[in-house]
Amino acid sequence: MNTFKWLLKREFWEHKGGFFWAPIVIGAIIVSITAVSLVFAVTGLRGGMEINGVPVSNLAQIVAPDQKAKFASLLFSMYKGLLVPFTVTLAACIFFFCAGALYDERKDRSVLFWKSLPVSDSATVLSKVAIAIGIAPLIALVIGTITAILAELLTMIAAAIAGVNIFGEVLSDPNTYLVPLQMLAMLPIYALWALPTIGWVLMISSWARAKPFLWAIGVPLMAGFLVSWAGKMFRIEGDLGWFWQNIIGRMLTSVVPGSWLIQQGHSLPTEETLRASSAVGEMLAQSLQLLAAPNIWIGAIAGSAMIYAAIRLRRWRDEG
Amino acid sequence: MSAIVSATGLTRRYGKTIAVDNIKLDIPAGRIVGLIGPNGSGKTTALKAVLGLSPFEGQLNVLGLDPRTHRDELMQQVCFIADVAILPRWLRVKDAVDFVAGVHPKFDRAKAERYLANTKLKPTMKVKEMSKGMVVQLHLALVMAIDAKLLVLDEPTLGLDILYRKQFYQHLLEEYFDQNKTIIITTHQVEEIEHILTDLIFIREGKIVLTASMDEVGIRFVEVMVPADKTELARALKPIDERQVFGKAVMLFDGVPRDALEALGEIRTPGVADIFVATMKGTYA
Repeated sequence: MNTFKWLLKREFWEHKGGFFWAPIVIGAIIVSITAVSLVFAVTGLRGGMEINGVPVSNLAQIVAPDQKAKFASLLFSMYKGLLVPFTVTLAACIFFFCAGALYDERKDRSVLFWKSLPVSDSATVLSKVAIAIGIAPLIALVIGTITAILAELLTMIAAAIAGVNIFGEVLSDPNTYLVPLQMLAMLPIYALWALPTIGWVLMISSWARAKPFLWAIGVPLMAGFLVSWAGKMFRIEGDLGWFWQNIIGRMLTSVVPGSWLIQQGHSLPTEETLRASSAVGEMLAQSLQLLAAPNIWIGAIAGSAMIYAAIRLRRWRDEG
Repeated sequence: MSAIVSATGLTRRYGKTIAVDNIKLDIPAGRIVGLIGPNGSGKTTALKAVLGLSPFEGQLNVLGLDPRTHRDELMQQVCFIADVAILPRWLRVKDAVDFVAGVHPKFDRAKAERYLANTKLKPTMKVKEMSKGMVVQLHLALVMAIDAKLLVLDEPTLGLDILYRKQFYQHLLEEYFDQNKTIIITTHQVEEIEHILTDLIFIREGKIVLTASMDEVGIRFVEVMVPADKTELARALKPIDERQVFGKAVMLFDGVPRDALEALGEIRTPGVADIFVATMKGTYA
């Protein structure tokens, strides 16, 4: 019996829309927009696009042969930029998924069907965790990468038509192959980092009698405001910023891929830093530093404890 | 043969109300037990305790296991349709069959497909496109293909038309049931299941008021059509129920010797529904 495989399939049947079709649609939109703008740029329709006053259709005039490498690195920044819509959608989908994961089955009472099969509560809840921290991010990353490759290919073809052939530069740059792998290497860090939010929301999903989404968001926010208010009222010394960032922030925002970079105090990559072809490598290096600090581990332990609570709640929640 | 279900002092409280009150119960293997009671009598609560779905006080053993601590093991041997359980709206027929086949070692896929072939369900159909009856048909096809030692059916045929209900109970008796299996059924349509039951349990206000095999029921309960001149005589034997049919009194007796009753008038074997109504008199009063 390969129960876990079937549990994952089950989740995929239910949530194909958010975890599979949503990134596909985003990718399709990005590729189409890229294609259409390139056609306009290359054919010079409606005057065409201009870079520094020179029409793009005369690209060869502005990109000197020795600047080709720079032009190629511009393409890499595109890849990183393109992942942003995927990560934002992914974070929202995972949050909603967790909020409904253990609530919807109780609401429509199908939990009684699932519980009539020899599948333990732990296996059920853990399959949902695996979807949230592993499978969904992996799908988003793969589709995001395919999108970026397509968009880059289109751009390179358009550039070649306009007289600037950068295939050689792009294909010989090690970053072309490294960047997707570096992104992949960040997935385990994401999994650890996202655990407190995922554990918290799953626990609420298993507990709430109604409106799990509002509870999941409302309780930490109310707690935050109460603590802030009490701190002001009674002039209690303490670092409120720390509380908001490390408790409430971790309960609510850790599902956003890369949110650890802000937490670490690194500024989010700007357009400037993104343009450096090693930007993703730096992001990975910064992310790996995270593993040396207790923050991510304490969060992961707290998240696991809340997942355990979610399992116990599912076991004993009586919907009489 | 040890009991499949054995309970002593089984109690379940919701706050101050006692839903199941100190039940003692033994169900041996190879039985089809009808658990009959009015709404709110504690049937579903008792069954949920048996299935490890809700906490309880007292002793309860199902297939030798405590449902509180060994639920995962228990579910290898037990299957159920509980209290208008429904299937999730997004589930497709073929996915449902695949899933149960994937997680249940005792699921017979060919059997499920044979049951499904007798319905209007198509493999690609989603639950949200089905009528209420079709959802029940799918659920029953899945559950009937699982070779479980104990099958608990709480209102299994709700929403089905009479043709399908008859067919379902026929299947249950002829194809599913054997000496190693035990089935517990609750339903409001008692008359439809009485011919397949081997045992009867009446539950009222959380207490068991009758537990007997169908053979015992046939001996204990007798209905007599009493002519007008003998009514006083008959009433002296304390009937548990009395109604008027075509000017004659029809009286139901519990445990009165048959020969004593034969002298009073024409004797009939009462239906379970009649015994149930007589036993539950005053429940809603």
